[in-house]
Amino acid sequence: MPAVVQNDVLIYKGSNFFRQRLLLSTLSGRSVRIEEIRSSHDDPGLREYEVNLIRLLDKITNGTRVELSETGTSLYFQPGILIGGQVTHTCCPQRGIGYYLEVLLALGPFCKEPLNAVLQGVTHHDLDVSVDKVKTAALPVLLKFILVDDGLELKVVRRGAPPLGGGEIVFKCPVRRHLRPLQWTKWGLVKRIRGVVYALRVSPTMANRVVEAAKGVMLNFLPDVYINTDQCRGSNAGKSPGFGISLVAETNDKTFYCAEAKSVEAGTRSSTLPEDLGKECAMRLLDEIHRGGAVDSSLQWLLALWMALGQKDVSEAVVGPLSEYTIKFLQHLKEFFGVMFKLEVLREQDEDSDEEQVVAQKVKMTCVGIGYVNISKRTL
Amino acid sequence: MADDAIFDKKKSHRAKHAGRKAEKKKKKNQVDQSNLSARQRNPKAFAIQSVVRAERQFRRKEDVIAKKQHIPQVDKTPLEPPPIIVAVVGPPRVGKTTLINNLIKSFIKTNVTSTKGPITIVTSKKRRITLIECNNDVNSMIDIAKCADLVLLLCDASFGFEMEIFEFLNICQVHGMPKIMGVLTHLDMIKNAKKLKMTKKTLKHRFWTEVYSGAKLFYLSGIIHGEYLRNEIKNLARFISVMKFRALSWRTTHAYMLADRMEDITNQENIRKDPKVSRDVVLYGYVRGVPLMKESTVHIAGVGDMKINELSYLPDPCPLPSSEKKRHLMERERQIYAPFSGVGGIVYDKDAVYIELKGSHSHKAEDEETNEKKALLKNVVETKETVDEQMQESGFKLFSGGAVIYPSMLKDDEYLQQDRNDEGSSDDSEAGSDSDSDNDSGIDQSEKEVSAKLPWENKSDSEGDDNDMDTEERNDGKEQEGNDSNDEDEESENEEDFGSKWKEKLGEKATMAYFERQKTSKNIMKLVYGEFEVGNKTKAQNQEVSEDESEEEIGGLFKKVTSSQKTKQKHKDQLDIDECSFFYALDKPTIRDWTTEPNKQALINSFVTGKRSADEDAEELLKLDDASDGEDDMYGDFEDLETGEKHEAKETEDDTVEPGSKRKGEPTKSEILDKKLKLKAKFDAEYDNPDDHRIKGDHSYYENLKAEALKQSELNKSVFENLDEGLRVEVEGFRPGLYVRMLFKNMPSEFVTNFDESYPILIGALNMAEQNIGFVSCKVKKHRWYKKILKTNDPLIISLGWRRFQTLPIYSKIEDDLKCRYLKYTPEHVTCNMHFYGPITPQNTGFLALQTVTNSTNEIKQLGFRIAATGSVNEINKSTQIMKKLKLVGTPLKIYKKTAFIKDMFTSTLEVAKFEGARIKTVSGIRGQIKKALNKPEGAFRATFEDKIQMSDIIFCRTWFKVDVTKFYAPVVNLLLPIGNKNAWQGMKTKGQLKREKNIKSEANTDSMYTEIVRQPKVFKPLVIPKNLQKGLPYRFKPKLKQNKISTKNTKENFGERIAVIKSPYEQKVSNVMKMIRTNYEKKKSDQRVATKERISKFKKQKEEEEWRKIKRQKELKKKICRNLSKTSSKKKPQM
Repeated sequence: MPAVVQNDVLIYKGSNFFRQRLLLSTLSGRSVRIEEIRSSHDDPGLREYEVNLIRLLDKITNGTRVELSETGTSLYFQPGILIGGQVTHTCCPQRGIGYYLEVLLALGPFCKEPLNAVLQGVTHHDLDVSVDKVKTAALPVLLKFILVDDGLELKVVRRGAPPLGGGEIVFKCPVRRHLRPLQWTKWGLVKRIRGVVYALRVSPTMANRVVEAAKGVMLNFLPDVYINTDQCRGSNAGKSPGFGISLVAETNDKTFYCAEAKSVEAGTRSSTLPEDLGKECAMRLLDEIHRGGAVDSSLQWLLALWMALGQKDVSEAVVGPLSEYTIKFLQHLKEFFGVMFKLEVLREQDEDSDEEQVVAQKVKMTCVGIGYVNISKRTL
Repeated sequence: MADDAIFDKKKSHRAKHAGRKAEKKKKKNQVDQSNLSARQRNPKAFAIQSVVRAERQFRRKEDVIAKKQHIPQVDKTPLEPPPIIVAVVGPPRVGKTTLINNLIKSFIKTNVTSTKGPITIVTSKKRRITLIECNNDVNSMIDIAKCADLVLLLCDASFGFEMEIFEFLNICQVHGMPKIMGVLTHLDMIKNAKKLKMTKKTLKHRFWTEVYSGAKLFYLSGIIHGEYLRNEIKNLARFISVMKFRALSWRTTHAYMLADRMEDITNQENIRKDPKVSRDVVLYGYVRGVPLMKESTVHIAGVGDMKINELSYLPDPCPLPSSEKKRHLMERERQIYAPFSGVGGIVYDKDAVYIELKGSHSHKAEDEETNEKKALLKNVVETKETVDEQMQESGFKLFSGGAVIYPSMLKDDEYLQQDRNDEGSSDDSEAGSDSDSDNDSGIDQSEKEVSAKLPWENKSDSEGDDNDMDTEERNDGKEQEGNDSNDEDEESENEEDFGSKWKEKLGEKATMAYFERQKTSKNIMKLVYGEFEVGNKTKAQNQEVSEDESEEEIGGLFKKVTSSQKTKQKHKDQLDIDECSFFYALDKPTIRDWTTEPNKQALINSFVTGKRSADEDAEELLKLDDASDGEDDMYGDFEDLETGEKHEAKETEDDTVEPGSKRKGEPTKSEILDKKLKLKAKFDAEYDNPDDHRIKGDHSYYENLKAEALKQSELNKSVFENLDEGLRVEVEGFRPGLYVRMLFKNMPSEFVTNFDESYPILIGALNMAEQNIGFVSCKVKKHRWYKKILKTNDPLIISLGWRRFQTLPIYSKIEDDLKCRYLKYTPEHVTCNMHFYGPITPQNTGFLALQTVTNSTNEIKQLGFRIAATGSVNEINKSTQIMKKLKLVGTPLKIYKKTAFIKDMFTSTLEVAKFEGARIKTVSGIRGQIKKALNKPEGAFRATFEDKIQMSDIIFCRTWFKVDVTKFYAPVVNLLLPIGNKNAWQGMKTKGQLKREKNIKSEANTDSMYTEIVRQPKVFKPLVIPKNLQKGLPYRFKPKLKQNKISTKNTKENFGERIAVIKSPYEQKVSNVMKMIRTNYEKKKSDQRVATKERISKFKKQKEEEEWRKIKRQKELKKKICRNLSKTSSKKKPQM
């Protein structure tokens, strides 16, 4: 649903894509008003995790103005200038750290001072990318845009499973004046598979069973499979029991596909068999590999963002089929920055085949960067 | 003589035929010497003779190379660049207009009557220039400096350089130096040849110091019949047409436009009702710099920030000639376009536009009203453009008030169809699980699209729409294709209806091929951007239209309504879903089992272990190599055997599944050959050094950078080349070189009523966040030619980025701890920091500051040089931290040993509490600390010091006080001022100015006033020398008769003061008796003294005698002893 523009304020309806909108607003410096936030729900207004996100944004910016209506169903957000620096934030356990981390990842290069954020909360969540995924799959993408890795780092200090969390990560990001344009149309072939299985407050055998199952599937395709187990104990294991796996496939052109799976939350009736979990994750990874493209499907939007924020040069990348989230993000990009991507479906292979069953559609995204410069950075 | 000759004859050389040398020569001659370099032929001559010298040479060479290197920048000049802006600048009456006239005449052989505003002319096959004259207003000079590519700086040689020229050069330096060419005029006024030579020389050198040494300075020697000499003008024109330009950083990041045409399209009725009503103004011009985005905010210099309401491109009014192969420009291709001056088909008037159509100079810009007719007319008349382009450009209207619709907004359903096919496949594997989940991305969108389609689609393809709805439920690809073609037919039918039947046949063929290419991209773009409109239109209008439509059609089309309701429902559903960036967002579908054989085969080639595509597979390549070597099959077989059975089996399998995989078929022979050649070239480039094998510096890093930049610029140019214009504009923005039309709504009426063509209208696009206002921190230096220093919080006019605005700056100095210390005045000759409230501008952008922009001669004379300061932006923030030094002063109330109570420093206990522990100090330097507040008096506190202080001490506490920057930002709106008064913009005045005007004199503080100093002569105490000291002094230092001196000085007085004392008889008697007694006493004393003397001498004599006797006795005794001693010793000797 396109935004209505009134006095250079973008007006949206509904709580969906709340994070996208605030993120883009902060980057573009344009104010947004979001109305009818769960207005027809039993529990109207902003959720705790969304308020928490606003708090985080407030911490890393200067001059941000937020006006919430009394019921919490309407929000006016006027962004300030990105400051960055040392930030400690306790994330809401309703969502994973990934929810917040992705925002920091997108904003990090444009802060005044290098970002050094300590986030506490749930490191692995069903709805959000896990910290492992960000570390293994997203950071290499950002690295392509900033080229020199001077202090881009994500450290998982403690893991924390939902519902109580108790995990902690440290994210450091250097600042850049502008991002470089990127041409990324080849992603190569998968050459190795790595993974981490973590087990928090559960028996260590669980982890080994997960490894075995996941490896069993992956070895069908590639011999180079190596999965670590991360058996946490004591305070490092967070507050809730749980276990999970995240697998990374690395191609010979430095593309990383990542898939993850985790056990169901403690407290719910159902339980997860470690073997099922391992297999599920492996399947997901295969699915991701099948989709292909230069980046993992859940990071398409970050790629699009960084491409759009580049210098006034052409960037192009080939990704797998666009996810719904990316499509919405592209629409938001158009509204906030006026940047439109040229999207092409690549199907060179179609010539050979009639049954298109197995070919995942590849989309070539081309755009001219808007020439975004980091206006917060200080020059001496 | 003959003998001599014989004598001189040298023995002829006999070449060796055997031996070492002969062998060497033979060896040498074996190689063909003809095409060897000197170095190869005689390597010894080039051997390193001296290591030191070689090292030095090498180092010097590297230095020279390194000096030449610049950071490679991506070349952003478009294929068809916009005209070059040539600005003619100079003080009044130096011959600017004459020069422009002459240049135009020399370029296009026509006379122009008036030269108002920009004049665009075609000068050569690849170059157009826009000539613009700069009037003598500092505002115009600033705007011109921001947009000009080449500046002709005119100067009256008989007068010399004037202040304006230096000002302009300074403005240029700040905003990015364009190319500058000096032109000296009025040289004929200097009659003396020698003087002329001298003048030329001095002016040249002065010019060189300002620009760069070697800068071109032109001499126009004189005027004949009101024109410059033809030859000189021709030379100048030649220089202009070969001039090269380099990219300026501000202009390579910002789009801008110099408007060369203005129309007021406000409803006349509204104007009649209220002449002051905000106007709708259309501005035309070439986009320059970088591509201009449709939704960007722009700044119109002299007016303010504006949002572009409508942006569209027009056919070029002054196009470059077609690329036929001929050397010179045809006469009819020498075009001129200057609406403000009334040349080039359009006569610009305040109320109307007159179009004159005369042959080649006919102008093709259209009004919206006449759009349709003209489009038809153009179709017939013009054959230059291809049919494709025409189709893209032609639009039609459904409603008289509605927007023009262009084919670039066409939409078809190809992508959806493909998408659905994909999903069909996934559905299969899902085996009937809930299909909704995966299909979300496809079908939901498609439904959305149907309703979000532009109104015209709904109306004209009502049947097609029905079909669309039907097919959505089906998953049959073929049917859809039929439908799709149906759609296309209908589209072409639309065009037929529109009335251009004649081009149907041509158009269809051309467009079919075209659409084939475009389909794929279009469709996915539609999926994503379906809700936005594409093409030569703006958003606002279309939205309006669509809203109107939906309202109108409620009665008529039921389908439309239901679908819109459906989408509304969808929107509602999506409204509050949790946000999740995963591919399968919330609903997790069951994933295909990839371990099953067919699925596995589909995937296996994504791994390095799988089969590679033909051009990557080492095995294949080897095979190809062998094949080309002519020994084909045998080795092919062999290799198969080597890899083993399993491999072979897989390969066969691969073949069966291959169609699904992404591998290419085997390449043809020619391809192989190509590849090989390429490889060989690459190898050669890497290993064959074309030069000799001397040691070379490694410049690969720089070369790589350069290659990267080149590659990027090529990509920039080529990537959108075959995109249709509407979409291209949408994706890329309006690229530089396009002639565009901008509609601005709510323009102040003064802009139109007070319009003056001689002022440039510069429209600069603002990048992201630049339309916002914040606190800008920058470094600034007062210009050394500016006479005054600048005071904090005095209004200052700043030209920064595109803008000129007035603001209140605060100067500060960055201390060592990075604190900004407030300064009241700018320091001289050093940079300081400056904070002001103004538009956010990227760092390192240069700016200049003026105190006034008014052009009254008095003020200029008073000021001399008007540019007060220059600097650049450091940092942007939403708050500032400027600290001013503050000294709090107090006095002691009561003093104990080292503790004291201090009063008067603070007014309340709370304040004291805030400063507890702060360091304090007395004037005499005794340090201390604030301890705790006292109950009373309020504000007093206890403090401890390192020593006892005194009641007279003053105690002070040094603190910092935050100074806020005043939020004042006022753009200079000189274009809105009445004509003739445009150069008299007056913003906020300084306090001093106001006081001077109103003749207010502030009361001076009496304490700080100067008063006459009256000095009392110093009176010293008389020197008193103590008696003891006096005694010890030698005579000459002894004070001599001081009393006497005084008495001699005023003897009379002394005697006069004396009083005669007459004694009574009793007193006389007493004094007589006393006299007698004294005499008696003295006699007695003298007698006694004599007697004593006698006695003493007697006693002394007696003593002496006694002494004598004593000595005598001792002598005898000594004698005796000595004798005895000698006796005893002599006795002892013989014994020894």
